[in-house]
Amino acid sequence: MIGCDQFLAELGNYVDGQVEAEIRRRLEVHLAQCRTCQVIYDSTRKTVTILTESGSFDLEEPAAESIVAGIMEKIRAADSGAG
Amino acid sequence: MDAILIQEGALTRQQKEYIFLVCSGANLSTYCVTAHCEIVRMLGIQGPEPEQVAVNHASTALPESDKALLDFALKLNNHPAQVARQDMEALRAQGFGDPQILEAVLVVGLAKFANFVAFGLGTAPDFDPSKVVLSQRSFLGQEANLLAREDRPTDSAPGSGTGEDADAEVVARVKAGDLNAFEELVRRHSRRIYRTLVGILGEREEAKDAVQDAFLKAFQHLGEFQGRAKFSTWLVRIASNTGIERLRERKRLESLEEISLEPEAGFRPAQTQAWNDDPERVYSRAEVRKLMEKELMQLPAPYRTVVVLRDIEQLSTEDAAAALGLGIPALKSRLLRGRLMLREALSPYFARSAKRRTA
Repeated sequence: MIGCDQFLAELGNYVDGQVEAEIRRRLEVHLAQCRTCQVIYDSTRKTVTILTESGSFDLEEPAAESIVAGIMEKIRAADSGAG
Repeated sequence: MDAILIQEGALTRQQKEYIFLVCSGANLSTYCVTAHCEIVRMLGIQGPEPEQVAVNHASTALPESDKALLDFALKLNNHPAQVARQDMEALRAQGFGDPQILEAVLVVGLAKFANFVAFGLGTAPDFDPSKVVLSQRSFLGQEANLLAREDRPTDSAPGSGTGEDADAEVVARVKAGDLNAFEELVRRHSRRIYRTLVGILGEREEAKDAVQDAFLKAFQHLGEFQGRAKFSTWLVRIASNTGIERLRERKRLESLEEISLEPEAGFRPAQTQAWNDDPERVYSRAEVRKLMEKELMQLPAPYRTVVVLRDIEQLSTEDAAAALGLGIPALKSRLLRGRLMLREALSPYFARSAKRRTA
């Protein structure tokens, strides 16, 4: 039998699907009977989904272009300066 | 002391502390072993028990490359006159470059110095170890490292090794002097590098500036990139270092105290209300993204950084750990903690009983 503390300790690996079958079975036994861990697991999983799917911190096209231009300008200047 | 051991250099603080421990163990310096075992714990370095490292590093689960580094340190410590070119070659074969080897040599020298002084003065470990490190504890702990660490092998990570680097051909053109090819690399990776830096710095404008820094550094150091890691991983590592350096600079201007006192253990989830099955039923996709970005920016940098690299950048555990110079267990525990903190912050919005609120 595992408790909430152990469940929480393995939660990261469990969410990422990186636990061995035997451990997963034990985690799921705990999950089936612990409402609190169900909620924590479910909301952590959703948090990760939001993180991976929301497309956060994307760089808008004009800003991306000006960054590329800025970098290349400096590199070309340094290159011609050096030789 | 500060320059050789405390500062992150080509080697991580963790590697330096282990070298120090191995030498102090071999020199039977109880004082130095005791003090540095405590320091390793206070720094929150994840890994084998420091005593085990001091007594017999070969029996630990450290990566082979680190063991080779410690073998070298021990040989230099015990038989300095026997160190030869082959020993350097062995280190290079493990992916260490000259800056790292030099630092290892310096740390061995420093350990000997400290051990001998402790013996000469007859010191016994009678101090409160916490006082030793409190003033020196850097806020990002062991995670920064320098550019030169590209070649730490990540072969143990399936899919992250060599042989499938989509950038290899373009990198080769840049090395041959084709500047336009570098522009291609910038275009391919600028968005990812930007996200990495926003994640680390928590600020968009500064991140844009730092993206330029990171690419310029990558360009200047491209000669050191030998393709043992993927180019994108190497680049993210440079970006991480760039971001962490800026963060350190910023913290130097503010107070160091506040950050180092941040509790490392004992985080417990407090919000236990079930969430809506589909958060997008209540909030639009754009609103969800905004909420998430806002809350992610509030996380302490060590957690924010790991969450961004793993969940937004979707680097593998191994690549993210390599990019930050962290061990896998440390990376995993920060990731879980960061996700749980974020979950906590988002719960008031997404809980079934929650009323719709704006970001």
